Amino acid sequence: MSTLDMAPGASPHVATPGGEMYPDVIDLAKVKAAHLPLYTERESATTDGNTAAAMAVLQMWRCLIYPGFPITPSTKFIETIAAKVGAQQAMGGRKRVKLLEAEHAVADYLVAASAACRDLVFVTATSSVGLDHMTETTRSLGASGLGNAMIVNVYRATANFPLCIEGDPSDTLGHRDDGFIQLCCRGKQQIYDTVLQAPVLGMHPEILTPTMPGFYGLKDSHRNARFTVESDAAIHAWQDKWIKPCPLPGLLNGDTAMGNCVTSRHFQGFKINQKRRIEKVIDILPQVGADFERTFGRPGLAFFDEAGFEPGAAPDIAVVSMGPDFGTFEALRSRWASKKGLKVAGIAIRLLNPFPRDAVRERLAGAKVVLVVNQAHHSGRGHLTLDIADALSDLDQRTRIVSAFAGIGGADVSEPTWEAMLEEAHDALSTPPRQSYMVFHEGARL
Amino acid sequence: MKRLDPRQIVEESVLEVRGDGKAGGGLVLAFQTLAALYSSLPHLHVQEWPFFSSARRGANIRSFLRVSARPIDIGCEVTRPAVTLLMDEGAANTVDFAEGVSHGGTFVLNTRRTPEECARHFHLSGRVITVPGDDIGTKYLKAAIGNVSAYVAMTEAIGGVDFENVMETFLKQLRKRRIPDLLIERNREALMATRELVRSGEFDLARPGDHATTRFAGYGDLPIGAQTRLRLSQTNLTSNYARSGFRLVFEDPDKACTGCAHCITNCPEGIIRFEPDAERGLLVTGADVSSFCKLCGECIEVCPEHLFKEGKFEEKWADVETPEEAHS
Repeated sequence: MSTLDMAPGASPHVATPGGEMYPDVIDLAKVKAAHLPLYTERESATTDGNTAAAMAVLQMWRCLIYPGFPITPSTKFIETIAAKVGAQQAMGGRKRVKLLEAEHAVADYLVAASAACRDLVFVTATSSVGLDHMTETTRSLGASGLGNAMIVNVYRATANFPLCIEGDPSDTLGHRDDGFIQLCCRGKQQIYDTVLQAPVLGMHPEILTPTMPGFYGLKDSHRNARFTVESDAAIHAWQDKWIKPCPLPGLLNGDTAMGNCVTSRHFQGFKINQKRRIEKVIDILPQVGADFERTFGRPGLAFFDEAGFEPGAAPDIAVVSMGPDFGTFEALRSRWASKKGLKVAGIAIRLLNPFPRDAVRERLAGAKVVLVVNQAHHSGRGHLTLDIADALSDLDQRTRIVSAFAGIGGADVSEPTWEAMLEEAHDALSTPPRQSYMVFHEGARL
Repeated sequence: MKRLDPRQIVEESVLEVRGDGKAGGGLVLAFQTLAALYSSLPHLHVQEWPFFSSARRGANIRSFLRVSARPIDIGCEVTRPAVTLLMDEGAANTVDFAEGVSHGGTFVLNTRRTPEECARHFHLSGRVITVPGDDIGTKYLKAAIGNVSAYVAMTEAIGGVDFENVMETFLKQLRKRRIPDLLIERNREALMATRELVRSGEFDLARPGDHATTRFAGYGDLPIGAQTRLRLSQTNLTSNYARSGFRLVFEDPDKACTGCAHCITNCPEGIIRFEPDAERGLLVTGADVSSFCKLCGECIEVCPEHLFKEGKFEEKWADVETPEEAHS
């Protein structure tokens, strides 16, 4: 009998204020036993980012059903899942791919499945307009307490004119208040590792919030590189150490907040509770990341990646960015800094929501100039700039912020572009920035 | 002229490689396979990705590859490659495939033409490698797809791998795509045949300023549809999306056109030429294939008299004879 089949006969159930609870319908031990491993030992693989994310998802025994709708550039995620699941079914596997007619249906399915069993993980991947189409449900999902739902978002310019399929985080930044834990990845290893850690964070009993790992379209979704793949058994052992039976019931095993209508007094209370839960990410994410590193020997989840910070010496210029273009900054940082006789360091933000305000402030404190590189359209000085300005607002000594836009729509952020932005930051060491924000492309300030 | 040695660059810094082609021509697979090949060498780090827009089959695309003995941090596009590939001659109508390549670089072209002809036509200084990939594809795979051969020629350009590994990596990529065994065997034959047909030579024919990287001069006024023009195409003629080596042909020597106008109403680009006709209402006289014909085939499909067809077309290079002319 399939582990997905309903138990024969009448299931024992418990009445709760939110509905019926069927605690024994899904036998988690059987689900785990039915998992067919993708990897039996640690190996090295060369794939693109979409495939790396899909592989991580497939390796989790808690992932049984993958609702999906293809959308560029995340289609490869669905294709990989479908191909591997198809191959596994031939060998007697128990996983399913559920292709649905539209993104909003995918989100609805994600809710239903996640609510049906709070101890399994349900993942889909989307991008740009696809995420927008999910909005009505994702907002509710963010509030639902369903930490076992995950949307892998491949960044590209959100519903927009003109159409652009390349890496631009405006979609994910436009959905920051949907209530998901948003994790930005760069590079194959980080994509793979982040997807493995995301449910551990989201399903933590103090957090219970869905997760949205993301990475840049084309720049990472389609970029091939080598990375280390862990064995399924090692992943299970690590995840099972963290993931405990969910304290809140689901639909099959209890109620969720989905579908209820409340008065303003209760709505506000509910939102405050939601806010408190996601704020717990700030405490728990470093613990998860540190344990991942102890277990697998690679950096785990962190608030940001950093480069060039020296103990006890604040940099002259600190750069704040996100995504794979930070690598180009890393490649030229020390050469440019030596040429200018300056200390230059930088951080690439990994946790977008909740924003790690205090940790960012602590890291950037003492820098004379902070150069913030925004890569998504924003009506003001930039999404990231506003966050950084807020984070630095508590410092006794005011830090000068140079706000830059580069790489919008996934445009290339070349070495000359980085140098042009750094030159503006250099000038700002002695004079205020020329404009509240500046736009750069191919080495030119536009 | 000092030749840039790709192997030395790999060991000492980062080898940067770029390819230009057209969507559907196999460029992405060729580069993915190169990435798989070089990442199979444990001491090497590899980074590979394609660059394309939402445009359809036939649009210009690019692929990038970096190979290094050191970890690769840099993530921007490759603008100064040491090795460059022109997968499709038609792609060179809208981009300079050699842009940014230093003197002494390596140029790989999927073409019937000789290295010298290519060096002369494109003003190349460095090692020029050619392979008639489309012909090999036509012979062994029944399709003018040159990626099998271009891949082999690229491994010749970069070096550092034995042919057995070159071949097996490509076939493994095909197996991952669940290509039927018979077709995999055909690819094996194409790979083997390519070895004998790769030609190379060294030339110093670039003039000062040739292939210099262009400086970004701002976006200027953005018209509707600016996206396409601002990407790879320098001319925005969608005719460049047509399959290379083919062009729409209209022939009506017997005045068989019935004046049904199906071709006119179905052409998405409005390039069908016609004139008033007393008996038939209008008479189709041809099609303007110089600007926006994408060879979509709508006119071929709907014409009841079969007056449209795809014709073979080879662009003449003013500075060299075409292979046919040379042969005759």
